[in-house]
Amino acid sequence: MTARAAPAPLPPATTVGVLGWLRKNLFSSRGSGIVTVLLAVLLGWVVVNLGIWVLVEADWTVIISRAPLYIVGLYPYEGYSRLAICLLLISVLLGMSWRAWPGPARRFAFAFGAVMLFVGVFPHEMAPEHRALLLLNLPFIGLGYVLTPRPAAANPGRLEAIAGGALAPALERIAIFSTPRRMVIAAFVALVLIMILILGIAGVPGLDPVNPADLGGLMINLLLAFFGIVCSLPIGIGLALGRRSNLPILRVACVIFIEVIRGVPLITLLFMSRHILPLTFPEELNIDRVYLAGITITIFSSAYMAENVRGGMAAVQAGQTEAAQALGLRGWQTTLLITLPQGLRNIIPAIVGQFISLFKDTSLVYFIGMLDLVEMGRVSVQGNQEFIDNGREVYLFIALVFWVFCFSMSFISRRIEGALGVGRR
Amino acid sequence: MAESNGVQSAVEIPADKAEILARPLEERDDIVVCENVHKWFDDFCAVRDVSMRVKRGEVVVIFGPSGSGKSTFIRMINRLEEHQQGRIVIDGIEMTNDVRNLDAIRREVGMVFQQFNLFPHITVLGNITLAPQRVRHLPRSEAEALAMRLLERVGIPEQAQKYPAELSGGQQQRVAIARALAMQPQIMLFDEPTSALDPEMIKEVLDAMRELAATGMTMLCVTHEMGFAREVADRMAFFDEGALVELGPPDQIFNNPQEDRTKMFLDQIL
Repeated sequence: MTARAAPAPLPPATTVGVLGWLRKNLFSSRGSGIVTVLLAVLLGWVVVNLGIWVLVEADWTVIISRAPLYIVGLYPYEGYSRLAICLLLISVLLGMSWRAWPGPARRFAFAFGAVMLFVGVFPHEMAPEHRALLLLNLPFIGLGYVLTPRPAAANPGRLEAIAGGALAPALERIAIFSTPRRMVIAAFVALVLIMILILGIAGVPGLDPVNPADLGGLMINLLLAFFGIVCSLPIGIGLALGRRSNLPILRVACVIFIEVIRGVPLITLLFMSRHILPLTFPEELNIDRVYLAGITITIFSSAYMAENVRGGMAAVQAGQTEAAQALGLRGWQTTLLITLPQGLRNIIPAIVGQFISLFKDTSLVYFIGMLDLVEMGRVSVQGNQEFIDNGREVYLFIALVFWVFCFSMSFISRRIEGALGVGRR
Repeated sequence: MAESNGVQSAVEIPADKAEILARPLEERDDIVVCENVHKWFDDFCAVRDVSMRVKRGEVVVIFGPSGSGKSTFIRMINRLEEHQQGRIVIDGIEMTNDVRNLDAIRREVGMVFQQFNLFPHITVLGNITLAPQRVRHLPRSEAEALAMRLLERVGIPEQAQKYPAELSGGQQQRVAIARALAMQPQIMLFDEPTSALDPEMIKEVLDAMRELAATGMTMLCVTHEMGFAREVADRMAFFDEGALVELGPPDQIFNNPQEDRTKMFLDQIL
């Protein structure tokens, strides 16, 4: 007798394929069939009407003619090429990410390149040198790509496979971002350069300082969000560790800080940072509202981050700490090496949710007189007779811009969760 | 350890251990000394007045009904639980609140848990090399060589680069044993090491423990594997309601228990 089992029977034809899927998901009972049809009709009606409005009735002139205001605010025109160079640096970083983390980062590189291509060739008023700089992003993405070695998993890499591997030795020689450390250093250098390019340095030709109050539009939303995200995570972790500390004074200080900040709306904090806090400053100290907004948003986000981190660490099983203790690890080693990494992994979705809400909250800086994307949209409509009727177009555009960024963040989050295996021990 | 010496072992026994093993148990020194140890959780007395001495190289199996304080007792030996009365001395080091004493004791004592408690976010190799690098300050290459030797010893060198979740329960527990051994402890504590395992995986873990006992490791094992106890233990300790009821060689415990409670419990589980 052979030990082989009989071939497994096939499932009934009505449960597989397109028909099976329809039956299971849309028409599993009479009630669900009715709901499916009703919703389909409703959805179709909305989509058709909205589509007609978007394609036929809406007047998108306002977006095109005011695009620079929406994107960079009142930033001086002479500095536009500096901002375009910032985009080139971002392109290099995107190219690096594409090579190092092919799946998700490739889509971002593609999307970014597509947007640059679209804006670069779109028939509207734009200086030829700016067009050229935008189109230069495409080769710069490629530059970042080839300067990064292929990940160990992809063997041979897609690029190496071209020309039967003839390029491989040359590629290996120019792959300067060969370690994670070098990539982090590259990213850090790029960020510093971007800040210098945006704000300028006094006395350096071609880098005339820009008044921070002139930063606006989408750029200021992105800058504030990025600054807030990068700073609030470490500060939040510090606060969470402080709250778990055995030192009573440190713990109480952290608890008070967290609870006070969480108990106050962001808009109040922004108001206080602009109008009350400066009362305590010396006369000659004049901090621009952009920096105050950045600091306030960071502080606000840190308090929420701290509670997320604390929750994540509390969810780490007690056995983990015991095992670390039994191995002779000190308390701080246990926290840094065992509890914190697992706690952070537990809360990736919460962290990204926090980042998304932080990004959207940056639009509240209109309250201290800053012209972010939303406020710029309002001003461009209400302050201009020509566009007074185009509010719908402007706000739909703004909503779309916010959605694209927020959706990208949650997309990355899901991919990171997958890569780190959240949900399995 | 007449029985365990009979086990064929692929592992060489170090000279100092061999010298100790050559001596009969009575002539060896006490590596664990517990005198009148008590432990309370709020009002509940979890361990009451336990006194026990364990010889170097001895294997003691601790058993008893659930809630009898056996786990709490061995967790006091590396201070996962603090004893509140009495005295514990590990290899000449008194268990006090002094951090230096505590560090020294935890370097002497390794522990294996019922739920493995491997660190899920680092690889098998990383789990084993973490403490040798951070606590004993071994260079990475040396720690990794040590880890590979230990993984070979527990029979799973090919799993080094995997994450704990990718391993079966039995393999995880063997990694946990290797991780504890990487600190080169003098004493190993086992807290129900096979209770969370499927039946077919129990044997591979018990085999690793058997092999360890044969190398002259001092072991305190909380377990209900009576076959293992009969074969490997030098002495067995029966705990009930927080007290050490009976302590004696397996022959006495199984064939001629001196206490009614021991006999009743064994009748229930055998």
